Amino acid sequence: MKFHVWIGVLLLVTLGGAAGCRKRGETAKADPLLAAYDTEVDWTDAQKVIPLSYQQAQGKRIFYQQCVWCHADATPAGPSNRSNLTPVPPLLNDGATLNAESDEYMQNTVTLGGTAMGKSAMMPPYGRMLSAEEIRSVVAFTRAIAQPPYQPPARAGSQYSAK
Amino acid sequence: MPAEEMGKLTDRTRLIFAISSVVFLAVLAISPFKDFRREWKQYKRSYLRFAQARPDTKKLLADYRPDIDQIWLPGMNVIDRCTTCHQGITQGSLTEKAVTQPFRAHPPIPHNVRDWGCTICHRGQGPATEVSEAHESTLAWEQPILPVRFIQASCGTCHYADLPQTPQLTRGRELLAELNCQGCHRLTGVERPAMLGPDLTNVGAKVSREWIYKWLKEPRTIVDKDGNVTVNGYETEEEPRMPKFHLTEVELRALSAYLSVQKAKAMVPYKIDARVVAAWSKNPELISQGELRFRQMFCSTCHSLAVTRAGETKLIGGEIGPELTKVGSKVNSDWLITWLRDPQGYLPHTRMPRYGWSDEDLYKVTQYITTKLTDSDLLTSVPQLGQPTEQEIQLGHRLFLEKGCASCHSIDGLNPQKDFGPDLSALGGKSASELEFGAAKIPHNLVVYIQAKLQDPTSVNPAARMPQYNWNQSDLDAITTALLSMKGAPATSALQNLVVPRKEVGFHPTGSFAEVYERYKCYTCHKFNGYGGDLAPDLTYEGSRAQRQWLVDFLKNPQTLRPTLILRMPQFNMSDKDAATLADYMTMVLQHPAANPAAVDAKQFTPAMVTLGKQLYEVKYQCQSCHTIGGSGGYVGPNLSNAGGWLTPAWIEAWLRNPQALVPDTIEPRRTFTEDEVRALTAYLMTLRQSIKAQKTSTTAATLAAAQGAGR
Repeated sequence: MKFHVWIGVLLLVTLGGAAGCRKRGETAKADPLLAAYDTEVDWTDAQKVIPLSYQQAQGKRIFYQQCVWCHADATPAGPSNRSNLTPVPPLLNDGATLNAESDEYMQNTVTLGGTAMGKSAMMPPYGRMLSAEEIRSVVAFTRAIAQPPYQPPARAGSQYSAK
Repeated sequence: MPAEEMGKLTDRTRLIFAISSVVFLAVLAISPFKDFRREWKQYKRSYLRFAQARPDTKKLLADYRPDIDQIWLPGMNVIDRCTTCHQGITQGSLTEKAVTQPFRAHPPIPHNVRDWGCTICHRGQGPATEVSEAHESTLAWEQPILPVRFIQASCGTCHYADLPQTPQLTRGRELLAELNCQGCHRLTGVERPAMLGPDLTNVGAKVSREWIYKWLKEPRTIVDKDGNVTVNGYETEEEPRMPKFHLTEVELRALSAYLSVQKAKAMVPYKIDARVVAAWSKNPELISQGELRFRQMFCSTCHSLAVTRAGETKLIGGEIGPELTKVGSKVNSDWLITWLRDPQGYLPHTRMPRYGWSDEDLYKVTQYITTKLTDSDLLTSVPQLGQPTEQEIQLGHRLFLEKGCASCHSIDGLNPQKDFGPDLSALGGKSASELEFGAAKIPHNLVVYIQAKLQDPTSVNPAARMPQYNWNQSDLDAITTALLSMKGAPATSALQNLVVPRKEVGFHPTGSFAEVYERYKCYTCHKFNGYGGDLAPDLTYEGSRAQRQWLVDFLKNPQTLRPTLILRMPQFNMSDKDAATLADYMTMVLQHPAANPAAVDAKQFTPAMVTLGKQLYEVKYQCQSCHTIGGSGGYVGPNLSNAGGWLTPAWIEAWLRNPQALVPDTIEPRRTFTEDEVRALTAYLMTLRQSIKAQKTSTTAATLAAAQGAGR
């Protein structure tokens, strides 16, 4: 009888020990900015820093080379060309205008230019200068800095969302 | 023990036996359970569940196996089991943020995971099968995963040439070069900067001992802990060059004594014509005229001045030369005149061009500088230093070598010590045990070490000789990235083969052009064949772009071509002969093969083509959104009002066909013009002319407005 008690206790201790040894497989909570490839200061709030993924960071680089001249109010050279144009081009962070457009529409506008999309011819086509990947990344950057923030549309089959 | 009792079981042995068999059994039972619960197996199973809940299950599970996945690339020392848990890494449908790690796909980069593995860029431990061991540094593994913020360092390990996708790394490499880190450290692939600290061979003739003392005590560029840079107390975006050495009073006195006696080369002061002095010295217009000339000559292209606007004082102007707000209290006027007249006579490697001064201008400008750009309080905090003693000079000489001053500042006859600081050419590959953390209470890993050392060298080693640099966060991260990229010589020949070497750039003109080019220091702002500054347009193909007569006119009287740019070409007061030499060389040598000026004859353009071209320009393509003609148009591209008098038709045609073929980083997009449209647009642009004379007056007004107003 005494044996049985002892054996029971030992079994419990061993099991408990084994369970205690198991480590939880969780990754450390990293600072989101440390995990960001690059960052962009929110255009509407200088205190807020938006972390960018690799793709968005590539978009940022292209934006500041190509697009900033007409789609921002300040440029690396100082004044902007935006006020010079009619119709006035949207600011790139203008979520109220751009959030409603699909990624495909935005990519096409950049690739084919304004004329092809029934908009102003002042928007040149970039399809022969930038790669499709680069154009996708510019759109991704637009989405990242949009104010109000961009919400991706609910796609068909979204009930199978990731757990 | 009696023999008959041997092998006889007592109750006690029975008990021990029973217990140990139960324990053994329990352990046996637990081990499959533990094996089942192993971390990576849990991730395998949860990926299975995850994939089954998604519409594209079949694709996601195409190469699913319940075992450990491994990428083995023996040539590159890669044994990576990361994909065991990161199973969706190559799945295009798992890119969005909503997908939780570890299943998210890798962002699109030019390298395929299967061909490269993971640790080659991200570091960490490839063979590990537990999250903590793979990602972080444990006692058994020394290489922690590289935070994504510094990931560009890994690109730099093979790509010695700069990539457009890695601006942070490029910036870091630039900083390493500009700050002359290799003056003290061994670094591979970092070029010597065009400008080091000034040569001090003759510094005693330029500034007083008191000024040197003040400078050494408080270098005028100060960065506070938020990274805001101030020069002479004015906020600026300038980069600090001279770091802070924590010098004692004795050291300050000794070094200032030693430097103030450096007057090796006897300077012959230039005497301004007495008639000019007599005519102007009493003129009330003298100073304002000097200021006007100072602005007209575009000193502000390279030098900044403090400007107070709306109660806020900011430095405005270029960053190539030093800030000049208080320079009148720094240098003596004899030196100033001699310097301005011939900078290379004092400093052979200076980037300051030699202007063609008239005595009158020289007098006016130097008077303006020495009366207006002064600060009477500059030296009030400096104690009376008196004549330097022999002892102080001796000590100063020793300190100059010991502190590493000689690594940036040359003095004739003084040889800097070789390999003064530690070798950093393999720093990026070091593991934590190879680093000395001293008493610093910081996490023991390489990134933290580099940043701590850069911010305060004495924090990890109280005896460090390295001076104090102050960084803003982005520069600190950039230079950390550049240092992390330096992992020394590639470990295997396969890795060696991956190295993309830095393209050697060079421009070695000869003959009379070389002499003029060197005198005006064209390369300070312009690039030739990849060599030179990036303040002004690349001139590699200038001969194909511009007409010869336009070049001559421009050199003699520079115009602004891009309305948004305020940094502009200085007025060199160039002689006709110099302008002709430069223009001839450019038209003959600086040619692009795709734009041979002789290939297109402007005479073949018909009025019909011109009309069509104008229509295309204004209606179909609306070029005016970026370019200005006359008074209206955009600010992005160059002003085309004088395109017909400026550009060659061959260049315009080649440009319209493919701008990037001529200037790879130009922002004008390549269009799909037909050949007829190219011809028509060229014909139209060639009719645009604006006489230089008409612009001249407006240029002076614009010049003044730019010099007074616009900030960067």
